[in-house]
Amino acid sequence: MDSMYARFKNVVVGAVVGHEVGSNHDYSSKNQKLEPKFPYSRPHFLNLDNEEIHISADHRLRPIIHPSKPLPYHAGYAECINAGKSRWNEDQAVYRQGVLTKPEVQFSIPYTYYGIFDGHAGVGAALCAANQLHHIIHEKLVDSQDDIWADFNGKRSVICKQIDLLVIGALESAFKEMDQLIAEDRTKYLAPGGCTACVALFILGKLYVSNAGDSRAILCNNNNFQPLSMDFTPESERDRIRRLVENQPSLIGDEFTSKEFLQPLKTVDLGKTVMFRDAHMKGWAYKTVEQEDLKSPVIVGHGKRSRLMGTIGVTRGFGDHDLYAIYTKVQIKPLLSCRPEVQVYKINSTDKNEVLVMGTDGLWDVVCCSKAAEIVQKSITSFSEKERYICAATCLVGFARGSLVNDHNWQLKNGKQASCDDISVLVIPTFPYKLEYEELCKKYNQKLSDS
Amino acid sequence: MSYAYLFKYIIIGDTGVGKSCLLLQFTDKRFQPVHDLTIGVEFGARMITIDSKQIKLQIWDTAGQEAFRSITRSYYRGAAGALLVYDITRRETFNHLTTWLDDARQHSNSNMVIMLIGNKSDLESRREVKKEEGEAFAREHGLVFMETSAKTAANVEEAFINTAKEIYEKIQEGVFDINNEANGIKIGPQHSPTNPSLPGATGSSGSQGGGCC
Ligand SMILES: Nc1nc2c(ncn2[C@@H]2O[C@H](COP(=O)(O)OP(=O)(O)O)[C@@H](O)[C@H]2O)c(=O)[nH]1
Ligand SMILES: [Mg+2]
Repeated sequence: MDSMYARFKNVVVGAVVGHEVGSNHDYSSKNQKLEPKFPYSRPHFLNLDNEEIHISADHRLRPIIHPSKPLPYHAGYAECINAGKSRWNEDQAVYRQGVLTKPEVQFSIPYTYYGIFDGHAGVGAALCAANQLHHIIHEKLVDSQDDIWADFNGKRSVICKQIDLLVIGALESAFKEMDQLIAEDRTKYLAPGGCTACVALFILGKLYVSNAGDSRAILCNNNNFQPLSMDFTPESERDRIRRLVENQPSLIGDEFTSKEFLQPLKTVDLGKTVMFRDAHMKGWAYKTVEQEDLKSPVIVGHGKRSRLMGTIGVTRGFGDHDLYAIYTKVQIKPLLSCRPEVQVYKINSTDKNEVLVMGTDGLWDVVCCSKAAEIVQKSITSFSEKERYICAATCLVGFARGSLVNDHNWQLKNGKQASCDDISVLVIPTFPYKLEYEELCKKYNQKLSDS
Repeated sequence: MSYAYLFKYIIIGDTGVGKSCLLLQFTDKRFQPVHDLTIGVEFGARMITIDSKQIKLQIWDTAGQEAFRSITRSYYRGAAGALLVYDITRRETFNHLTTWLDDARQHSNSNMVIMLIGNKSDLESRREVKKEEGEAFAREHGLVFMETSAKTAANVEEAFINTAKEIYEKIQEGVFDINNEANGIKIGPQHSPTNPSLPGATGSSGSQGGGCC
């Protein structure tokens, strides 16, 4: 195993994980004395002991780990480690249940929170998010709870915002605070790297999916699916980044050009006329290639291979405060964003088979949404309610991981390249939550009519 | 707890034959009549003594269902011992042995010690597979054989420990390359130069915790 790891290690020293590129996080000498805020671990609900944590980190066997105790609503979870590109699994996952209480009415609004975080260039940021984000979200919800209660009671006043906006606002401000906390902690703790965040909050009969990064959440229903998040990559965020650069050209330093060309330009192209668009442009036009145009474009590549400043393949999330564009002194963080996109879904389906599937890009790189829906549906029909969602998560991870062929190549069943990344998947049925919420409303109305 | 060697086992066989119950009986010395369905793989561990040496058994209990076959198949690699289990009260579980054995032989390292186990020997009245049939199958395929009961604990210790003894003998004979962890054998921490430890949050920069997977 060691030799296998060593083989990969050379390739990835300082690499931005999942995005297979170099980075040069600045581990300045003062940081070397710092301890991590959270020691490496696997998700709390897996209850792994030290021995099992080591078993789970076997890059050659890549065992698929699942919870041994049930999660709320019998939700399923499974994970497996990468094929050797980083020593530890840089994904993290968490669930929490909490309540917003109103002592005056002796009644509380429960919520359930699930999150997955895909770390890169270290396990620090993902551990910070998995251990702290839910506390921050809870605080933000408590801050707005009087307004939430007013809305719940149907007594919305003019100044009260509707519940959706309150919950979305709580999530948005929590994401911002999480990123700031990681930034501030850098002087106190060792926490290199960054992470994506995709969280699902079940509250007041709705599902709020808050996503920053390239993890993905979809709803699956009898072989069909509906996306509940979008992937934030350099390519999908071209417009946001272009606008930033347009307003502040200094952000990309001297090393990069804000112009886009149809093909990479070389010295031989000097003087030629080529199609281009600059940061301020929506459309395309022609120009003569000058020396200046030979600089690397801010965004290169397409799809999963797109890179921001040649360095990172994901443009939203937490951390990366010390990330520089590879081989340069240009900071990348100003072009990244911790702002989530929040989608709201009212859970009113009468269909017991509706599930929320959340996965890190280790899954989605090789499993399309419709295939995921198909795998989930198969588990739902083959296993009893208690275990079907863990089976679904296990089968999804198993499918994406594939099997090791010729001792070095992870392959899907169809012979294509399988995922060599860390893979984490949550499968959460919505129906039990719907029942729970209906029960809550009934109880509350009962209480109102009693008093 | 320190150990001289760690041996990795895998338990395989049809669903419902008592794999998880055998593991529980061996690790916790108890029988649980209704055991949860095993999904993918679950882990157990226990220390035993052979030749006055402490040996840690790390046991991978697998799911028998077809749905998990391609996943569990990937776990044969890196196992030093396998317990192949059938249920003496269900003939079809005995009939499936060749499939399991082919699978195991194809995906494991060639030195893996395989112990054939006819479980539920306490259910004599419902027996469908004679002990002699198990013995014959084992002889034919070069396996060690034993009938056990996860319920009464009969032969359970022996099954796990005899497998370990076979592995230990193979080590003494120099058949196993114990420096290659892919064989499912690991030399204990006090014998090996690196002491496995968990890292801090240093991630890919923190390769200091090496030597443990
Ligand atoms: N009478 C008896 N029942 C057993 C024995 N071992 C397992 N069982 C029962 O067989 C069923 C399946 O056992 P389990 O360990 O879950 O099988 P697995 O699918 O192979 O892991 C359970 O209901 C057990 O109670 C045994 O030795 N004797
Ligand atoms: Mg079992």
